Amino acid sequence: MKAAFRSRTFAPIFHVAVFGLALVASPWVTTPAIAQKQGGSITVGLESDIPGFDPLKVGVYDTAALTAASALFDTLTTLDDKGMAQPELALSWSHSEDFKTWTFKLRPGVKFHDGTPFNAEAYKANYERQKDPANKCRCAFYISNVISVEAPDELTLVYNLKDPSVNYPALVSYANQNAAVHSPTAWKAKGDEYNRNPVGTGPYILKSWSAGDRMVLERNPNYWNKGRPYLDRLVLKPLPDAQSRFASLQSGEADVIWDDEYDADNIQKAQKDPKLKVHTYVGSGAQVYAFNTKVAPFDDVRVRQALVMALDRKKMSQAITNGLALPATNPFGDGSWVKCKDDGALPFDIEKAKALIKDYGKPVDFKMIVTATPRGRTVGQVLQQFWKQAGANMEIEQIDQATVVPRAFMRQFQLTPWRIVDLADPDVQMFANFRTGSPVALANYSNPDLDALLDRARVTPDKAKRTEDYCAISRHVNQQAIWFWTFQNTYYALSTAKLKGLPKMYSGVIDVSGAWLE
Amino acid sequence: MLGFVARRLLYLVPVLLAVSLLTFLIASLLPGDLAYTILGDQATPEKVAALRHDMGLDQPIWWRYLSWLGNVLQGDFGRSFRTGQTVLQAVTERLPVSLELMLLAQLGALTIGIPLAIACAVRSGSAFDRFMTGSAFSMLSVPAFLSAILLIYLFAVELRWLPATGYIPFHEDPVGNLRCFLLPALTLALGEWPVLMRVLRSDMIQTLQEDYIAMARAKGLKPSRILLVHALKPSSLTLVTVTGINIGRLIGGTVIVESIFALPGIGRLLLSAIFTRDLIILQGVVLIVALGYVMINFIVDLLYAVLDPRIRHGHA
Repeated sequence: MKAAFRSRTFAPIFHVAVFGLALVASPWVTTPAIAQKQGGSITVGLESDIPGFDPLKVGVYDTAALTAASALFDTLTTLDDKGMAQPELALSWSHSEDFKTWTFKLRPGVKFHDGTPFNAEAYKANYERQKDPANKCRCAFYISNVISVEAPDELTLVYNLKDPSVNYPALVSYANQNAAVHSPTAWKAKGDEYNRNPVGTGPYILKSWSAGDRMVLERNPNYWNKGRPYLDRLVLKPLPDAQSRFASLQSGEADVIWDDEYDADNIQKAQKDPKLKVHTYVGSGAQVYAFNTKVAPFDDVRVRQALVMALDRKKMSQAITNGLALPATNPFGDGSWVKCKDDGALPFDIEKAKALIKDYGKPVDFKMIVTATPRGRTVGQVLQQFWKQAGANMEIEQIDQATVVPRAFMRQFQLTPWRIVDLADPDVQMFANFRTGSPVALANYSNPDLDALLDRARVTPDKAKRTEDYCAISRHVNQQAIWFWTFQNTYYALSTAKLKGLPKMYSGVIDVSGAWLE
Repeated sequence: MLGFVARRLLYLVPVLLAVSLLTFLIASLLPGDLAYTILGDQATPEKVAALRHDMGLDQPIWWRYLSWLGNVLQGDFGRSFRTGQTVLQAVTERLPVSLELMLLAQLGALTIGIPLAIACAVRSGSAFDRFMTGSAFSMLSVPAFLSAILLIYLFAVELRWLPATGYIPFHEDPVGNLRCFLLPALTLALGEWPVLMRVLRSDMIQTLQEDYIAMARAKGLKPSRILLVHALKPSSLTLVTVTGINIGRLIGGTVIVESIFALPGIGRLLLSAIFTRDLIILQGVVLIVALGYVMINFIVDLLYAVLDPRIRHGHA
């Protein structure tokens, strides 16, 4: 469900961060301590080709597409650097008592790049196009909580939700496949070609795009936010190879590049180079793994606990990422507002792990799915060694990236990798991952207490009370060891020291739409 | 000669049919269901079944092959489910990049390989010959991804003479275009010249022992004329074959090299089609590449006939 599958652990080339929050930098957020300079052009090195922007075609935007989308499109809200929703296309919002109805007041006078007006009808058309069953959009899944969107007048938008959402405005804050607002006139006129000729209201307009090579975006002279953006031109290039991508930054062909902790050598090189700057953001969520608790040996809690207690995450981080990866003890992470005094994490204790396995009495042999990528294999081999020391035999089953999801959905695994992505609110993913009956409740685990906590946490507006519930959920999951977490989601961008104005990389999105050159 | 061409062309038909069948089978037998890939996180069994039906995936494989082949024969290679581009659009956009890369790489390999081969053949057994043969061996064992990174480090990061990555179309800026092809073409050429050089060298050594060469020497012809005119042409038969076959290796090489140097060619199109299970693009591109490969070898056959009259007349 919410698991953004093609992420770091899984494939170097496709980074689909399904949920996450790109901060479309806004004047209410940035403190204008330094005068921003107008003009200039930058080149952004992305990790993959962008397939397009029509939600009906691409289904989900990957991180490369999100970088472009945050320049081409606006969204209702944007996140400030504390993770709170701030106005963008919506000026204000209010909710019903039960948090099932959200009303947004829209910004007047905004126009799409093709000159047509942005209004509530246009927004509604976007929503309905995604939701229409006849369109079979993969994107419809992510708005399954929305019953309808209404446009009672030109500048009022009403969201009717199936389940309460106490933090809804934070979930429409970045230009993903659902929240980016496209021009209805443009998609109707261009048909199949719209995918590669997107039209939004954003600070940049698509000038040219040659497949697999470069996308050139130019400053929108009629942007509603006067004085924005600063740069005249953005050039986005896919640079799939990590080494040559970094070389392009060093040689000045790229001004900012995407990177991740598996490229630790280059990140550490950049940290020492005064001409370069390392941007990093520790988000919420984590790299996670799910046990199938319906099959032996994982139907026994002792085995699950033993395997988790045999993990030395620090050593693992050292081995895989030169120590850059931050160990995770709960599914929320440093980037989340959920902070737990006690998250119930099992400690690293190899002796206890051995004892638990001995206590179990039978040999512990199992297969673990890893993706057939260098990273997948490395992680698998490290885990294998840890578990061997505890007396368990893990066999690595390398399968292709694209087959991990169906295998997980059909529960054809004993232990599978998964991912909880950076998102402004924990509800969506926690509910999906642990509530009985959810298609992504991969552990096949069902517990009435856990269900009750999940049901309550999503409808509690009070942050302190919600935090308590989510910490109780973390304790339950950690103690029962149905899932475990290895590392937090840490995102990286490397740039020249001259590039300023990069906001926090919510969900790993490098948003250059508010950047300038010193 | 015409009969020869017709015969060769006729041989191509079964080859191409076999290639199309293999391509289709390989793409269909890749693990991972296309319906699951498209539906992703919302792949409920009902939706998967409905989509499989829509896409005809529930039909028997022979039927799907035949209908695909039928469309291909009418020039319709299909449309990517991800980008909405047709296979022909995607290929025509990217083919010029790969062709230029392969052409420059092959030229580079020949430019390095032929003079060295001649020089070695003339002094066969000398220290120079032994040194070059040895270096050729070691160059052969350096993988493209390593030489690419070393070249980038030297010429782009340290010296800053050439760009590390990127592509500029020829019609926009011919010089810039050549500059961005120099390193990738050199990377491929470095892996190719040793083969060409060794093949030509050994053929040349044989040719130089022939009586007519001794005759030419006795007549007092200039050594350079003997080498380049009398010895090179008859020695280059294997070289031509190897050059033709090497195109196949080069196509493989472009997959790696285009990714490292961020060139928007066929190799990268293929790679991303595999990773995203874009089977329509995958089948189409492989088939078109195979067509190209078969055609090149057909041309090589014709070149044989030009180089060696005995083949033309069916005596060889």
